[in-house]
Amino acid sequence: MNVGLQHYLIVSGLLFSIGLLGVVIRRNLIVIFMSLELMLNAANLSLVAFSRYNSNLDGQVMVFFTITVAAAEVAVGLALIVALYRKRQTAHVEDLTTLKF
Amino acid sequence: MNYSLIIVEITAVLIGLGVLMTDLWISPAARKGLGYAAAVAVGCLLAFATGSLAPQHGLGFRDSFVVDDLARFFKAFFLFGAIVVILMTVEFSSRIASGLSEFFALVIFALVGMLFAASANDLVLLFVSLELITVTFYILTSFQRNRLASLEAGVKYLILGAVASAFMVFGIALIFGSANSTNFRVIAAHQTELATSPVFLLGLLLVLAGLGFKIAAFPFQAWAPDVYQGSPAPATAFLAVGSKAAGFVLLIRLLTQAVPQITAEWSRLLVVMSAATIIYGSLCAIPQRNLKRLMGYSSIANAGYLLLGIVAMSRSGSTAILFYLGGYFFTVLAAFTAMSALAEHIETDEIAGLAGLGRRSPFLAATLTLSLVSLAGIPPMVGFFGKVLLLRSVFESAPGRPDLYLLLGIAVIGVVISLYYYFGVIRSIYWGGSTPNLAPIRTSLGTKVALGTCIAGMVFLGIAPNGYLRIAETAIGGIDSAAGRLKSPALKKVSAHEAH
Repeated sequence: MNVGLQHYLIVSGLLFSIGLLGVVIRRNLIVIFMSLELMLNAANLSLVAFSRYNSNLDGQVMVFFTITVAAAEVAVGLALIVALYRKRQTAHVEDLTTLKF
Repeated sequence: MNYSLIIVEITAVLIGLGVLMTDLWISPAARKGLGYAAAVAVGCLLAFATGSLAPQHGLGFRDSFVVDDLARFFKAFFLFGAIVVILMTVEFSSRIASGLSEFFALVIFALVGMLFAASANDLVLLFVSLELITVTFYILTSFQRNRLASLEAGVKYLILGAVASAFMVFGIALIFGSANSTNFRVIAAHQTELATSPVFLLGLLLVLAGLGFKIAAFPFQAWAPDVYQGSPAPATAFLAVGSKAAGFVLLIRLLTQAVPQITAEWSRLLVVMSAATIIYGSLCAIPQRNLKRLMGYSSIANAGYLLLGIVAMSRSGSTAILFYLGGYFFTVLAAFTAMSALAEHIETDEIAGLAGLGRRSPFLAATLTLSLVSLAGIPPMVGFFGKVLLLRSVFESAPGRPDLYLLLGIAVIGVVISLYYYFGVIRSIYWGGSTPNLAPIRTSLGTKVALGTCIAGMVFLGIAPNGYLRIAETAIGGIDSAAGRLKSPALKKVSAHEAH
C-alpha cells in the first residue's frame, strides 16, 4: 500500500483528538500536560507531512519553532506543577478550588 | 537581512538581559532602584521608537516582519504600558517575596513578544511572538508562589493557554498545507481560491480560536476571571492592557489585511462571538464580590465591545478599536495601580473591603471611581467616546446586514448592565457599611504621579479626543482593507519587486 499525504493527516488528526480527549477527561495535571504535548506533536506531524508533499521546507522550520516553544512551555509548566504540589500536596485538578465566586 | 528594522526589539531584549545581569551585582535593597532604571531605559526606547530615527516603513526577514504606521502605533502603546507596569511593580514590591528583578526582566521579555506581535506579517512570527507573551505571563501570573491563589491561577492559565496554542499550531499547519505559505501577503494574494478550500477554512478557524483565547472572547474566556483574581496586580494590569492589545493587533492584521474576503463571509460568526462575549461578561459580572474577579469579567465584556470594531469590517471600525484600546489602557492601569496601592492596607480583594475608602484616602477613592465611571462609558470620560466610536462604526456598516442592528441592541444592553455592577463598587467605596479601621492611607509620590498621568489621560482623551483619533486614523490608514495590501510607497516598491 502506498502511504500518502492523507494517511499522515489522518494519523495526525487522530493524535490531536486523543490529546484533546486526554486534556478534557484526565484529572492528573502531569497526564494533562503529556496530552498537551501529544497535541503539539500531532500538529508537527502534519506540518512535516505538508512540507514533504508540497516540497516547501518552511513547514519544517516551523516545526523547529514549535519544538522550542513546547520545551519552554514544559519547563515553565513542570516548575509550576512542582510549586503547586509543594504548597498543596496534590496534582489533581479537582483540588484547584481556591478561585471561585 | 536588514537588522535595523528590529532595532527597537533588539534594544528591548538587551534591556531585559541587562536587568537580569545587574541583579547579580547589586544589594537586595537596591532592587527598587533597578526597577526605576529599567523604567527609564524603556522610556528612552519609547522616545526613540516614536522619533524619526526609528525605522518608519519596511518589510524584512522574508516578508515576515513589517514596520508600518499600525506597527509603530502599537509599539509605542506597548512600551508606554511596560513603563507604567514596571513603576507599578516597584510600588507593589513589598508583596513579592523574592525575585523582584526577575519580575522586571519578565515584564520586558513579555514586552519584546508584544513588539514582535505588532509587526508580525507571517503566521510563524505570529505564533512565536504570542507564545513569548503567553509563556512569560504563566510565570508572571504565578509569581507570588507562596500564595495558593496565584499558583492556581498560573496552572489554570498554563493548561488552557497550552490547549489554545496547540489549536493554533494545528491551524497554522492546515493553512500552510493549503496555501503552501504562512505569509499574510501571499495568503492575501490567493484568498479567492483559498476561500473555497475547507482545509484552509478549518485552519483559519483554529488560528482564530487561539487568538480568541488571547483576547478572552467567548467561548475561550474561561481563564480570564481566575487569572485576573489570582495574579499579582501589576501582572493583571499588563495582561489586561498588553496581552489583549497584542491579540487585537494580530486580529486586525489577519482578518482585515490577510483574509478580508473570508472575514466578510464569516461576519455572522464574528457577530455571534461579539454578542456572546458581551452578554457573558456583563451577566457574570453582576454577582461578583471580588474586585479583581469583577475586572476579569469586565475585561471579557470589553473584548466583546472591541470585537464590534472587527465586525464593522471598515476603516472606522479598526480606528475605533485603536481609540478604545488607548482609553482602556489609561482606565485599567489607573484602576490596577490604585488596587496595588491599596493591597498593603486592605487585606482582602473583596468589594465590601473597600468600605470607608472614601474617607481613608479620598485620592485613591476618586481614582477608582473615575476609572469605573470611564469603564461604564459615562461622559466626559474616554470610555464613553470609545464606545460611541465603536457603536457608530457598526451602525455605519449596518445597512444591508440586519444582524448588526441586533448586535447594536445587545451592546447597548451590555452597557446598561455594566452601569449596575460598576456602580455597586462605587457605592461600596463611598457608602459602604461600617468599617472598624478608618486609618488614613498614604500613597507614595510614584503612585501619585502614575495615577495622575492615568487620570489626566482618561479625562483629556474624553474631552479632546481629536488629536489621538487622528493618530489612530493614520495608523489604520496604512492598511487598505478592501485590497488587503499595504499602501505605503516603500512597501509597494517591495511588492512590485516580489511580483516579478
